[in-house]
Amino acid sequence: MTEDVWWAVARSEEVTGDKPINIDIGDQPVVLWRDKDGFVRALEDRCPHRRAPLSLGCVLASGAIQCGYHGWTYDGESGRLVDIPNLKGEQKYPPIYRAVPFAVSEGGGFVRICLNAKAAAPVSPTTETLPLSGTENVSLSHEHLIAALFDDPALVIAIKGVHYTPYLMSELAEQNGKLVLERSCQWKSPHWPAPFSSDFPITLRIGTDPVTGETDLLLRDNAFNTLLSATVAPVPAARGVTQVRWRAKLGSTRPGLMAKMLGFGTPFRILPSVNGAALRTLKPSASIHAAALREEIRSHQAAAHNVAA
Amino acid sequence: MLDIKDTAPEQDFADPIAGDPRNFAAAVNNWVPHDIVLKDAWFPLAHSFAVVDKPARRSVYSQPFYLWRENGVAVAAEFHPNDTDPTDKSDFSDAAGRYPVLEHYGYVWCWFGNPANADPAHLPSIPYLPAEGNLPKHMLGTVRFDCTAPLSLENLIDLTHADFLHADVVGDEKMDKEVVEVFYDSETITMVRRCTNKSVAPIMKWFGGVKSDVQQVRQVIRIYLRSHAAIAYGRFSPGDNVQLFHPCVPETRDRTRLDYAMNTSNVKKSNLFRYLMPKASYKVSRQDSTMTSPQSPRYMNPETRKDLHSPLDEAGQKYRVLMTALAERQARGDFAYRDNVSADCSEIIGYDGK
Repeated sequence: MTEDVWWAVARSEEVTGDKPINIDIGDQPVVLWRDKDGFVRALEDRCPHRRAPLSLGCVLASGAIQCGYHGWTYDGESGRLVDIPNLKGEQKYPPIYRAVPFAVSEGGGFVRICLNAKAAAPVSPTTETLPLSGTENVSLSHEHLIAALFDDPALVIAIKGVHYTPYLMSELAEQNGKLVLERSCQWKSPHWPAPFSSDFPITLRIGTDPVTGETDLLLRDNAFNTLLSATVAPVPAARGVTQVRWRAKLGSTRPGLMAKMLGFGTPFRILPSVNGAALRTLKPSASIHAAALREEIRSHQAAAHNVAA
Repeated sequence: MLDIKDTAPEQDFADPIAGDPRNFAAAVNNWVPHDIVLKDAWFPLAHSFAVVDKPARRSVYSQPFYLWRENGVAVAAEFHPNDTDPTDKSDFSDAAGRYPVLEHYGYVWCWFGNPANADPAHLPSIPYLPAEGNLPKHMLGTVRFDCTAPLSLENLIDLTHADFLHADVVGDEKMDKEVVEVFYDSETITMVRRCTNKSVAPIMKWFGGVKSDVQQVRQVIRIYLRSHAAIAYGRFSPGDNVQLFHPCVPETRDRTRLDYAMNTSNVKKSNLFRYLMPKASYKVSRQDSTMTSPQSPRYMNPETRKDLHSPLDEAGQKYRVLMTALAERQARGDFAYRDNVSADCSEIIGYDGK
């Protein structure tokens, strides 16, 4: 797992000072909680004493986290051990007595962490907090989930009333460091079959971070009205599962019955399970170019970094 | 099948705890309990009442044990009597596929190891269990731990965990003073914990008639290393003594069976504590598993990162070192018992027969 990558591992409302939560970045378990000042803290979800998950412990009034096994207590910012309650009296612990801390950044309704505790804060994370949100554990690996999103979004996301066609308005390409494509869509109302359609009423623009897979979705009609915008944050978790957090917002101008219907019920969902038969026979199309584009982006970034240095 | 290397004992045994502190620290930190399979030991595989004419299946490190009675006498075999096509017999049973068996303390004990070395003298001493058994069934039960047996025992011997994990049953960490002492030989380790003015165990307050807010506590955990069997003896003042036999049978390297006996016959028959305390195991064991289950895979393989320790971990550290030393000695072909596990340990645990 790349150390300097910022992963959106939780929605802001999921992290509280009441109870720590556990998330994974690949095989790295992480415990998250909010301290008494409202800051999100992240440590390795493993007590260095006897390797028990710290997420099974509790958040003390001081904002520190206490392991539920033997009570070892850690400061969230530094990971330093601050107390072993059964050792009565004031104790000082050597610096090695610490849990592994991770860097934390919060913005746009997402909590992002970086496994490198000294990493610089992420560049201008989204500031607007989109009002609709959810979390899903998808039984598909991170890599395959992103590829499916490029090749057939219907396997991984559902937008109310929207049918994704196999036809792209623009193929996968690099734009401002992201992998971007725009797919033609139809409403799920009676319509001429896509292969025989001259024009399509809506499009879905997909803009994906080449490393994290964090994706901005934009559903627009042919008058360029934004019908729905969403941010989808997939994080590789244990056993090939991908944890996906998302936030979304409906556009204020949604002309037409189907567009208006987006405002009723659940307009956006991440599908928790994938149709295996459909996935197996899905032919790679847009995703074919993803690997080369990622490499290209990486080269550009490395070159820019060298110039700056 | 498991191998038995059985050569003459080597006389190179050195106290692994009193030796070089660097070796001690290395053994503590190289703790991979899943790799430890100790042989030549009696395991209490079933409560006596559970062994009847119809065979019951048990296992030790996946080695099958079928237990039943023939003319009222408990027997154990490697194959089910109805198995008409048994696979190759291991070296753990005799020519007829039978294991050495003892019935004592209300348990059927089977020998895991070289049958020729089976000796009643290697049966652990449990002073507060009647030799003939016969405890009422409400004092007996079976629970399971989703972890390797040594982790379950390391958990038990460090009782500070109880103040956090089992606070709602046995009381929290609030007390004036805590002193831990550890005694050991090559086959056993004994931890004595004395707590001054400790918050009263809720189960004693609610059901045991203890009115006080604090109590004086002396808890003893004594582990018979090879048998993975522990006795947990607690004296509470005010309060009744707790007399638990806690055998952790390693059915596999990552799962543990506990056929426990909580002898509460010292408690008045009119006291609810007599009947409820043995049932607390159902709650306490699940609480333990919430920690030891995620712990267990994290101890399956060697790690470069060392665990951190506090002075309160002395017993657990010494347990690790003694287990490792015993495993290393067995790996060299030395299966001899150097200390007597069947000698009455009443004095060691502070049991006065009451």
